[in-house]
Amino acid sequence: MSVTELLSLADEDVGHASQVVLPRLSLTLRVGERIALLGQSGAGKSTLLATLRRRLAADAAWCPQSHGLVPQLAVYHNVYMGRLERHSALANLWNLIRPDRRAWTEIETLCGELGLAGLLRRPVARLSGGQRQRVAIARALYQRRRLFLGDEPVASVDPHQALRLLALIDARHDTSVVALHQRELALSHFDRVWGLRDGRLVLDAATDTLTLDDLDRLYPDADAASSAPADEAAHG
Amino acid sequence: MAEPTAPGMLRGDSPGLRLARRSLVLVALCAVLLPFADLSVVAHDPWAELGRMATGLALPHWGELSSPLQAIGLTVSVALWGTLLGVLLGFPLALVFFRSRLVRTGCAFVRAIHELFWALLFLQVFGFSAVTALAALAVPYAGIFAKVYAEILEQTPRDAADSLPPGVGRLSRFVYAELPLAWERLAAYTRYRFECSLRASVLLGFVGLPTLGFHLESAFREGHYHQAGALLWLFYLLIGTIGVWGHRRLLPLLAFASLFLLGPWPHVDGDLLWRFLSHDLWPAPLLNGDWAGLIAWLGDIPDLGPAIGNTLLLGLMGTVGALVIALLLWPLASRHFGNPATRLGGRALLVGLRSTPELMLAFIFLLLLGPSMLPAWLALALHNGALIAFLAARHADSLEPGMPGLSASGRYAYELLPRLYPGLLALVFYRAEVIIRETALLGMLGVATLGFHIDSSFQYLMFDQAFFLLLVTAGLNIAVDALARRYRPREVVMDDPCSR
Repeated sequence: MSVTELLSLADEDVGHASQVVLPRLSLTLRVGERIALLGQSGAGKSTLLATLRRRLAADAAWCPQSHGLVPQLAVYHNVYMGRLERHSALANLWNLIRPDRRAWTEIETLCGELGLAGLLRRPVARLSGGQRQRVAIARALYQRRRLFLGDEPVASVDPHQALRLLALIDARHDTSVVALHQRELALSHFDRVWGLRDGRLVLDAATDTLTLDDLDRLYPDADAASSAPADEAAHG
Repeated sequence: MAEPTAPGMLRGDSPGLRLARRSLVLVALCAVLLPFADLSVVAHDPWAELGRMATGLALPHWGELSSPLQAIGLTVSVALWGTLLGVLLGFPLALVFFRSRLVRTGCAFVRAIHELFWALLFLQVFGFSAVTALAALAVPYAGIFAKVYAEILEQTPRDAADSLPPGVGRLSRFVYAELPLAWERLAAYTRYRFECSLRASVLLGFVGLPTLGFHLESAFREGHYHQAGALLWLFYLLIGTIGVWGHRRLLPLLAFASLFLLGPWPHVDGDLLWRFLSHDLWPAPLLNGDWAGLIAWLGDIPDLGPAIGNTLLLGLMGTVGALVIALLLWPLASRHFGNPATRLGGRALLVGLRSTPELMLAFIFLLLLGPSMLPAWLALALHNGALIAFLAARHADSLEPGMPGLSASGRYAYELLPRLYPGLLALVFYRAEVIIRETALLGMLGVATLGFHIDSSFQYLMFDQAFFLLLVTAGLNIAVDALARRYRPREVVMDDPCSR
């Protein structure tokens, strides 16, 4: 494997313990690439991301689709969880009672950049959907890894905010793989598109060679009802 | 071609019919075995006695109570610290519950013996002291907490823990990504258990510990019904206002203050304790390795077969009775039936029956009807039936009938009961375990179940026999629980540990 390759799969069966979801998959992830992962729900996006996460555990910051937040804990503690493994159990316990000063300052700055200023003490249960999404991103950024793996990390924010969040993610990671359903965003913001359809990687190309029509072909439902906007058909 | 005919009675494969058949088998079994139960009324004039009790309840004599505040203080202190100690013991056990068969078995065993039997056992070592009272609650509750906490923790959503970075330690993962998610349910169950422990603490008076039940029992037994009425009202007041005096913010203060109300503290003789544990509890032939003697010892236990039979029979009768009572009573407290006045009355009736412990109900019925299985049956059926009816009514209130304007019977039989019944039956099956435990206990009042022989063995200081009978009781309880779990309807809406 060359220095610039983070991961290379050649004809590998990818899936869960019991079931192959993506048979005979071949792809290469290189350092510095920004990859948009597209495909209908059920096409295997989450499985592919889980595999990348497993293989690149030490390098990857992970932002799951379900956010994985603890609603009862404050925003601060949820973000802090991104680095839970770097402190002793005792320090982590004490931090629940009295926030660690250095971590607090760092998280306060981070949350400020994400538009969560002043919410550090608020339980996640009392945040809006968009705010929760940003807390999940804040947690991933707080992990400080070179690779960002996100499963629909900008699904529930407006387009302007999505751009801002993606810019923040780019500024802090040299490589990223992000599952999306906004096709325009994939073309405008990413270097490369991985397109999944029915468990196969049917598209692996640089964005400057692609058009929206090429992306449309990833969504079989959009073929059937071409009058309906593909974004809606592929939603979720 | 044959004429199409309607299917026969209860034929078909819908879940409702399956449950109906299962229920009817239970009812039929109970009806067939009923002739074997002793249901005679021995008292000569139960109605006059009932009248005197009702007058006592209607016109309580508050002035005659001697030191009621002290009894209440002790009742609350024992309940609170019994629960707290149960949490302290049970929580660590919950963390290893699903990984250790030994822990699961041990917890099933301590759960299967009623608080009052534990009290009888500890009484022999610690006398009429706070240690007896606290241990009698804390030991079975540790087993209950371990099981329920473990189940709640197991049902915690995995998302948060799964999204943690790799390499996070077990303890950090637990306190950040598991405990906060389960906290609310753990707290709700602990609170519910505290309410149970309050009733149990009252009952400890029946074995002689000076809680509220002690005064209640003597007032009833001596026929001082006006005094008993006052104590009963005090008890309902205590249970009814638990949300006020047992508020979350007041609890630490209450726990601290009640430490001073606990007492007396016993002087424990280590040698005596060791002798009791190593010698007194075990049959002498077993300790001597005399197997023929052991068989003779077993033969000496009076009426073991009939006692087990009576316990099982009364348990079955209690369960079926609770089912019937629940089916009859739940509409009384539901918004779909009656008018505001009947609903208020119905709700008061159900809450009253639900708050009164079976033992107390059975004791009152026993005074009225004389010693047979009848008072015990009535008590078990009414208490558990009302409890289930109350929960069923609450569930019914959350439902919206699809066809407005049906008659009451149509609403009951077509709209509501089909939706409620799986949950209701599941609760009955959950309660079956509680009922069989109570059944054994009711023997202490003179009904010929296992508890009767346990109680008299303790009285004759035959600890080996009492302990053996306790083991039999626990085994029976565990078997009934396993049986009930096997036939319990699955995937029901009302599945909340706080409703068991």
